[in-house]
Amino acid sequence: MDAEDFAAIESAVREFVRKEVVPREAEIDERDEIPADLREKAAGLGLFGWALPAEYGGLGLTMAEDVRLAIQLGYTTPAFRSLFGTNNGIAGQAIVGYGSQAQRERWLPALASGEAVASFALTEAEAGSDPSGLTSKAVPESGGYVLTGTKRFITNAPIADVFVVFARTDPASTGREGISALLVPAGLPGVTVGPHDPKMGQAGAWTAEVFLDEVRVPADALIGAEGDGFRIAMASLARGRLHIAAVCVGMAERALAEAVEHARTTRQGGRVIGDFQLVQALLAESHAELYAGRSMVLRAAEEYDAGTDRRLGPSSAKLFCTEMLGRVADRAVQVHGGMGYMRGVAVERIYRDARLFRIYEGTSEIQKLVIARTLLHPR
Amino acid sequence: MEVLVCVKRVPAAGARVPLTGDGRDIDTRHLGFTIGPHEECAVEEAVRLVAAHGGRVTVLAVGPAECAEQVRYALAMGADRGVLVDAGRSDPDPEATAGAITQAVRTLTGGEEPFDLLLFGDCSADAGHHQVGIRVATGLGLPIVSGVKALEVAGDGLRMRREAGDGVEVYRVPLPAAAAVREGLNLPRYPSLPGRLRARKAELRTVAVEPEPGGLRTVRLRQPADDRAAVVVLGHGAAAAPAVVDVLDELGVV
Ligand SMILES: Cc1cc2nc3c(=O)[nH]c(=O)nc-3n(C[C@H](O)[C@H](O)[C@H](O)COP(=O)(O)OP(=O)(O)OC[C@H]3O[C@@H](n4cnc5c(N)ncnc54)[C@H](O)[C@@H]3O)c2cc1C
Repeated sequence: MDAEDFAAIESAVREFVRKEVVPREAEIDERDEIPADLREKAAGLGLFGWALPAEYGGLGLTMAEDVRLAIQLGYTTPAFRSLFGTNNGIAGQAIVGYGSQAQRERWLPALASGEAVASFALTEAEAGSDPSGLTSKAVPESGGYVLTGTKRFITNAPIADVFVVFARTDPASTGREGISALLVPAGLPGVTVGPHDPKMGQAGAWTAEVFLDEVRVPADALIGAEGDGFRIAMASLARGRLHIAAVCVGMAERALAEAVEHARTTRQGGRVIGDFQLVQALLAESHAELYAGRSMVLRAAEEYDAGTDRRLGPSSAKLFCTEMLGRVADRAVQVHGGMGYMRGVAVERIYRDARLFRIYEGTSEIQKLVIARTLLHPR
Repeated sequence: MEVLVCVKRVPAAGARVPLTGDGRDIDTRHLGFTIGPHEECAVEEAVRLVAAHGGRVTVLAVGPAECAEQVRYALAMGADRGVLVDAGRSDPDPEATAGAITQAVRTLTGGEEPFDLLLFGDCSADAGHHQVGIRVATGLGLPIVSGVKALEVAGDGLRMRREAGDGVEVYRVPLPAAAAVREGLNLPRYPSLPGRLRARKAELRTVAVEPEPGGLRTVRLRQPADDRAAVVVLGHGAAAAPAVVDVLDELGVV
């Protein structure tokens, strides 16, 4: 895509986010739901599949373009991005990267148009940071597999049409070996999705448990080869790291913009609070960190596209940007004073919403492990 | 079905419309441009008709080269072809615009299949003369229904509905025909990102026409006075009663 084309897309997404989504943030937060008309408009715009290949109705963006759109999407409630985050991200990319031609043709056009939602079901009660401990089984049986297990915290599970499920096809295996990825339509007998989890923040983005009770899937449900599952999961998550880092940059931009606006217009003792140097310090520190985060994401995305670094950059960016957002959101609340603690005020929501990013798609601790391992044992 | 939709480039003004120094025009230096809500519905309806019944949607705008922006927006919504009509004047009046469109339609259809349906917005979002569609239809000898709020294919013609006072009027119109539609006819789509990319690259055809004189001159535009509510104290206690009665009397409630 040439630069002008991409600029047109970026500005269309920016306009959509600011005109259509920002005014409805409080409604989304309060009702814990993305309104149906907004979902429809987002699908019409093409947001459910922008990271999918163009031949399937997506835009086929490079990582450098992907992060720029993610920064735009980060500006509003992350629940909005989450609605189509699994289609474009972890679940969709597993199908793009490793699915058969038939699987791609069956699912990608529907994912890109927003007709279908895909979810990524990896995490289990005792397999989160270390998914190699997962115990879900897919027992090979004449012409297919029988799947049994319980997944938790699965984003978009309540609205999913299809799951990318990770389970052991080799029942004798342990650790990373013997895990496979399977495409499991949500309507199959034996698939049950629990009620959506009440969460601290990101209201409107739904997660739930997924119960798999002797679910029979055909042999062609397998994504990639038997035993490829762990590698597929890690590759899908690696791309997601930079994306999440970029979303955090967008959210930090918003938090800072709200803080600056508040500091410019609110008075104490007859002066706007922005006149106080301690308030100025809060803004300046946030800006400096935000600037560093944005630069880091853009640079890491370039290196990702060039193929020169797909580990250190993404993990460093995810670690720094998610933690940076936490600090920027905290300062934004501080600048707002009591107002920053009140429901309905954007920074109060941002403060709660921000917390998740340090936990999912690899906790901060796990990013540190990835970074340190890569430094100590370069390949 | 071959459908032609005519759209106008209009300033996207906020609550207060800035005027030029001489008060004859809108000061557009700091404004973006758009197509009006009625026309957006016209494009949407055309795209839906063609999706359901086959054919092509052509979008046409009369005006300066910058109208390409609005034509491309309609292409991004799903229209197939874009046409710019260069009438050589900056702000033709409705008669001149209609003359330009009529000529352009004749040029476009010379040798090609004529359009089955011409769609217009009921009125433009800026001038609001309610004339262009009717003048073009008259010029081309087509039946036209204006104020249309619902439209469907019925047999080999169209059934159109519009609100009329407390009731509705339903028209059956044979094709070819024209319609001037109103906002609310449908919910226009958000142009998709892939659609926008296609539209950016689309070739637009430019049709030159002979400028025709119009009969309308804008004498002056005026901003309505600010309509702010103000509090007037009419008096205190019982002493205020006569003044209150006067006000109620003035309002016609007593
Ligand atoms: C809102 C939400 C949405 C989610 N969406 C999905 C989804 O769509 N699909 C999916 O599969 N999963 C999803 N998850 C799961 C998410 O990826 C996990 O919660 C995350 O990886 C952490 O795993 P855990 O919850 O089991 O915590 P644990 O792994 O138990 O972590 C607890 C603490 O221990 C630390 N820790 C763990 N292992 C180590 C170690 N080796 N060294 C140092 N510290 C360590 C962690 O950093 C953390 O601080 C989601 C979670 C949430 C909250």
